[in-house]
Amino acid sequence: MTTATKPKGRKNINWAPYLLILPSFIYLILFFGWPMVQGLILAVREEGALLTLHSEAELTSTVAGQLTRGSQVDILGQQGNPIPQEEAGHNALLTEVWFRIRGEDTEGQPIEGWTPERRIRVRESDANGKPVAGTVRSILSANADPLTRVYGEADEGSEVVGQMEARAPVEILDQATLEVWFLISGERGNETVEGWVPSRYINPLGDGTRGRIEAGDKSQLTTKYIQSMVNDRFFWPALRTTLLLIVLIIPAQFVLAIIMALVIQADLKGSGIFLYVFAIALGVSDLAVGILWYSVFTQAGYLNSILQSLGLIDAPIIYLSADTRYWILIAIWLAEVWRATAIVMVIVVAGMQAISREVLEAAEVFGANLWQRVRYIILPLLRPSLQVALILRTILAFQVFAVVIVMSGGDVMTVLANETYRQYYELRNFNVAAAYASFILLLSMVTSLFYLRAVRTQEEAVE
Amino acid sequence: MTTVVESQKAPVQVSPEVKAIHRRMLRRHRLTRALTYLVGILISLWVLIPILFITSMALTTPAEVRAYPKGILPFIPLSMETLEFFLSSRGIIPGFRNSIIVALITLVLSILIAAPAGYALSRFIFRGRDVFRLSILAVRAFPIVILSIPLAVVFLRTGIYDSVYSLALMHTALALPTTILVLSSVFSSIPYELEEAAMVFGCSPAQAFRHVVLPLVMPGIAASAIFTFVLSWNEVFAATILTIQNRTLPAQVLVTLNQSSEPYQFAGGFFMMIPALIFIYFIRRYLFNMWGQISK
Repeated sequence: MTTATKPKGRKNINWAPYLLILPSFIYLILFFGWPMVQGLILAVREEGALLTLHSEAELTSTVAGQLTRGSQVDILGQQGNPIPQEEAGHNALLTEVWFRIRGEDTEGQPIEGWTPERRIRVRESDANGKPVAGTVRSILSANADPLTRVYGEADEGSEVVGQMEARAPVEILDQATLEVWFLISGERGNETVEGWVPSRYINPLGDGTRGRIEAGDKSQLTTKYIQSMVNDRFFWPALRTTLLLIVLIIPAQFVLAIIMALVIQADLKGSGIFLYVFAIALGVSDLAVGILWYSVFTQAGYLNSILQSLGLIDAPIIYLSADTRYWILIAIWLAEVWRATAIVMVIVVAGMQAISREVLEAAEVFGANLWQRVRYIILPLLRPSLQVALILRTILAFQVFAVVIVMSGGDVMTVLANETYRQYYELRNFNVAAAYASFILLLSMVTSLFYLRAVRTQEEAVE
Repeated sequence: MTTVVESQKAPVQVSPEVKAIHRRMLRRHRLTRALTYLVGILISLWVLIPILFITSMALTTPAEVRAYPKGILPFIPLSMETLEFFLSSRGIIPGFRNSIIVALITLVLSILIAAPAGYALSRFIFRGRDVFRLSILAVRAFPIVILSIPLAVVFLRTGIYDSVYSLALMHTALALPTTILVLSSVFSSIPYELEEAAMVFGCSPAQAFRHVVLPLVMPGIAASAIFTFVLSWNEVFAATILTIQNRTLPAQVLVTLNQSSEPYQFAGGFFMMIPALIFIYFIRRYLFNMWGQISK
């Protein structure tokens, strides 16, 4: 390793390497570290689980208490509150529109102020559809006040500046959108909580005196996504199949990869061709490999064709069905060994190239046969490479996905990655999908640590 | 072997016993070689026969694909019908185009971001270098699936969901750790003395890099770029999670798999495999440089 650093000194820090790694550092934080944390959070946090109740119909007012999503509440009153224009599109929002009007009051005096839209009949609009003039609506209900109040501000709590007769003509100067706030009361635990909340969180029921909290504004830590993952009927089969596949696939891959590496390292004529052929699978996706082996195992596939033409069977055997799960397992096993041995082979060859020729030749001179050379020289010297390959392969094996879908349609036999996909894609259950993903992450980390520890204790035992 | 050569030069009488030993060793050597060839050929068949199967399925008529029992001899009758049927299916040509776009963006982005970091790792010793190296190795060891779900949620919120560009961002994150390590090993293989010599003769560091290092590392960078392309081309899980309308080819094949016919599936599998067959051929010599570095 060549280096270009000047002698280290506190005043003389070379910033060049830091500038050079900065882009990749930022990128990995942004698209790796941050989503990783987000994924874990998604799995354990319920958004909008709690609704904050305010002592007044103001977001800035003191907190009166909290209620959980889904609770039934009594609606005791309501009031309009100005909101920013961009929030007006919120779909669950109950809004009121208020007009600033100018007209004559009951005494014939000019008056200017705010009144709710429901008290004004719009008669004229400008080219943009904005109302410009109208009349005060007449109130038909018998016991209601026949006069329409005009307020100083767009708020029923504000000062009343005057009253207007029905059918009085008005000029509409301005309008404001208000969100309705409800005064609600509900129970949490044994406590009754009462306070004001914006209407967007409440679904009023029946005559409007009862309601249900549809959403909250605060999130809460929860284990319910993890519970629904564990209680899912596919969870245990998926976990079992995933672990079974790892146990079956990895030993076969390592044996095959070491044999491949020995062939390539044997300095044969044409070893370049062997290298190419052995490495092809490195570039083939698990989906393509799944289809590749599906063409062998499907009912009209190659295995049946060969058996039939050899006269071993009379009718095609159905391999990939719910009754013959072991065949699905064998097909997945073959496909995965076929595909992912290449990467182990490459790592093993790279490790073997670091073993000095002299050692192997010395062993050969002293009469060690192939098995003895592999067992007592190559394997111990390869241990670091094998460890890396083992960790890499196990982590990749937890993500086996497309092969399983191809072979079993994703139902008959399932794995953890497939369940993540199902929860996300079919059930649209992002949180449970995130719980599955976090579970896979946890398993990968635990096995990696296990391998690292196991190899270290082995080394200590040797010493 | 050398003793044999020497014995031919010098007329020293070699005893028949020694000759016998030589013959035995030579025979054993030949036997081992023959056995190694045999094993190599057997493994090659194990790799190649399924490829032959799928290729002959893709390059024949749909009727032949459905036929049973299939002829073991391939390419009878040789026809582009199955492949044409696959390519004319809905979503395949757009998927192909999307796959190419995503893979190209991933390739360019990851090389641009990884090359400086790889250069820094191979040329400088700085505080935090080992931490950076180790964390990149650790990133490689994380499962991708956990990334796709939260990224999908974030992309949904920010309105860049279901776009080839956001998928390319995700693929770049996947490819970046490997690319950094590979490029670092590529730069390490060029001695720093070459750069130094260029600077002694009056080049600026940038010029030395441009005129001396760059031409030498180009093949390695190209190999790494090809590998990144293949990685993005093959990626199924994130592509299926992150796109709906703008599916890449593997994602499109996967979601339509259960409703599609066997000719479609086989032609799809073959079509997705072609880049691997071509590209692995070009980068096969670089594979060990790439992965040797990673396993250290």
